[in-house]
Amino acid sequence: MHRINSREEEHTRRCLLLSGGGLLTGAWLAAHWPAIAAAHVHAGQMAAGASPAGFEFLNPAEAADIDAIAAQIVPGGASPGARDAHAVQFMDRALATFFADRAAMFRLGLSDFQAAFRATGTAAAAFAEADPAEQIAFLETQDHGEFFDLVRSLTVLGMFSSPKYGGNFAGAGWRLLGFEDRHVYAPPFGYYDRDYAGFESQTGKW
Amino acid sequence: MSVRRYQPSETVDFVVVGSGASGGVIARELSQAGFSVVVLEQGPRLTARDFEHDELKYWVLSGITNDPVTSPQTFRKDPAGTAARRPTGNSLVYARIVGGSSNHFTANYWRFRERDFHERSVLGAIAGTGFADWPIRYAELEPYYTKVEWQVGVSGLAGASPFDPPRSKPYPMPPLPVKSSGVLFERGARKLGLHPFPAPMAIASQPFRGRQACVHCGFCMGFGCEAMAKSSALYTMIPEAEATGRCEIRPESYAIRVELDPRGRAKGVAYFDRERREHLQKARAVVVSANGGETPRLLLNSACGRFPGGLANSSGLVGKYLMFNQGAAVHAVFEHELNEYKSVQVTRILHDFYDTDPKRGFYGGGGIDARMGPQPALWALASGGDLPRWGADYKSRLEAFPRSMASTGHCTSLALETNSVSIDPVLKDAWGIPAIRVTYKDHPDDLATARFLQDRSVEIMQAAGALQVWRGAVREQTGGVHLLGTCRMGDDPATSVIDKYHRTHDVPNLFLCDGSSFVTSGRGQPTMTIQALAFRAADHISRFARRHEI
Repeated sequence: MHRINSREEEHTRRCLLLSGGGLLTGAWLAAHWPAIAAAHVHAGQMAAGASPAGFEFLNPAEAADIDAIAAQIVPGGASPGARDAHAVQFMDRALATFFADRAAMFRLGLSDFQAAFRATGTAAAAFAEADPAEQIAFLETQDHGEFFDLVRSLTVLGMFSSPKYGGNFAGAGWRLLGFEDRHVYAPPFGYYDRDYAGFESQTGKW
Repeated sequence: MSVRRYQPSETVDFVVVGSGASGGVIARELSQAGFSVVVLEQGPRLTARDFEHDELKYWVLSGITNDPVTSPQTFRKDPAGTAARRPTGNSLVYARIVGGSSNHFTANYWRFRERDFHERSVLGAIAGTGFADWPIRYAELEPYYTKVEWQVGVSGLAGASPFDPPRSKPYPMPPLPVKSSGVLFERGARKLGLHPFPAPMAIASQPFRGRQACVHCGFCMGFGCEAMAKSSALYTMIPEAEATGRCEIRPESYAIRVELDPRGRAKGVAYFDRERREHLQKARAVVVSANGGETPRLLLNSACGRFPGGLANSSGLVGKYLMFNQGAAVHAVFEHELNEYKSVQVTRILHDFYDTDPKRGFYGGGGIDARMGPQPALWALASGGDLPRWGADYKSRLEAFPRSMASTGHCTSLALETNSVSIDPVLKDAWGIPAIRVTYKDHPDDLATARFLQDRSVEIMQAAGALQVWRGAVREQTGGVHLLGTCRMGDDPATSVIDKYHRTHDVPNLFLCDGSSFVTSGRGQPTMTIQALAFRAADHISRFARRHEI
């Protein structure tokens, strides 16, 4: 909670950002479990190569802008980025189901974001159509707002949560991190503990 | 084995509220001593098979923790201000299942040191605070620390720290295998002349009392253990209590209030069952071990004619002196892979800065550890301090995940009367029970101590050869998982809620034992001391019961 860390609670608190005001809760989960299970199936279909289903919450223009923001938060390239992990699909699924109570605020925030972008006098018709340098410059003016924080949190969760929620497509997020989802490991775990000589007493007590 | 069941109308010897780190020990000790015991637990009973590696569920969707929707709380920084629900969820977070927060804790098991119990006498008063000595000393608790290590199960290396307090026995299990974070931390700390040592952890490093050793899956902090290697009450004290044939663990039983008889003695605990039907479990005595948030809440919600300001609250201190423990993280990247996502959080710590040093100019001290930090999604969510949050720099940090570790300081929180758990005047939970209101603002010395330890962590990581170091944020806390101090123990009924045997000063057959009993905060790892107190409390309570002194 832990907070929740590297100081445990610090991280927990940050994470709970998403449960705020809104209903990311056990009770909610129980009531909406079929929807989450459906997200799982949906992810499975995508993994199997079926054509992705349409967006449920975001309209195409919104989806394009969110996808572009996410792709600047974690850019693609030689290693997977937010787009490879289907972060926008996760966000759409989340806002339609287990983060539904954040959906209105999300849409309002996005509409303010879009208006602020147009107000820059840009030649681009939408954020998604601006060139990367312009996108980055604009995001730098937005990255301390609540909407940006929410998109960032959802992008991160969409990349690194269990693939059963519709993001982390084919494990792309975990591949970026070099994380394996296994249940049993044995030492040595890394480079530095491989040749550890053993704990040497500084007390002479044992 | 058939587990004993009781009817609520049956008067049992003890009803225990809460089945966590403390309640589990109390239930086991009292039932092994021959008493009949019913344990009321708010949450459901899960098994190892129910726990998963699912960060979204456990960190975000309140998978096993108190749910901010059904169990909301309010928060305010200023005691004169109006409290509101935090946009980030509840301030006080705990696991709401059988075994309580001992399911999802990280399992750092540090003993307090002698100084923790009488620091006020050593240092003198601190103006504007409730800084006080405990009514007990380390020597009285030592046998019970040993009991925790041997009966609950702690892995560690006795004598490895020159600062360790005296102990009567070594640890029952060797330390867990060192991780790369521990090797680097040890290397850096020794270069600086410090004294790192293997972290004592309540996780089995080898088969122990019928449980298997840790399988190093990496999902300790925030998760229930799938391997039953973590020494959670669910796997240790609870089954041993049930094995006596005298103890019933009653899940989904949510305590509403403690009821008094006309003589002013507790006659039992009213609770809702899973269908929200109200019952009264009758008992000869009541032990409340519901945690430092829920214990004072239950007393305050049990206000009655005799105790209009809350049960056992003649001192007015029920809920006061809430302490969370401050702390600060440092994130470091090294040249080669550490793969910290494997195995337990912490394998090396140091206590060189544990004591308060008046030369620093502020009260406080703490321990520093080497740790993995949370699992991948929560790790990647971290922000604040000088951590990159997006773009190319952020992606570089993500790509460095296998080469990353954290070093975290854990430190004191001063007891302030204004930091408290009280009852929100308006908000109720989904059961219609008045909700918790938290008031909290860190003392400036707590923040100074956290910054001081963070500077030491930076030096250790640099001495260890870190290529890059980021500081996490040090900021005023608005919530916590270490819920301490809210029904403090003491000899004087005017300045404390319970006596040194955990009996409330006001109600002779009502005992409180959990983090709420603390007088000072220790240095950030409270559960070991919560359980040692619980073993000691149960010893005294058994003795009182046998002598008919309850």
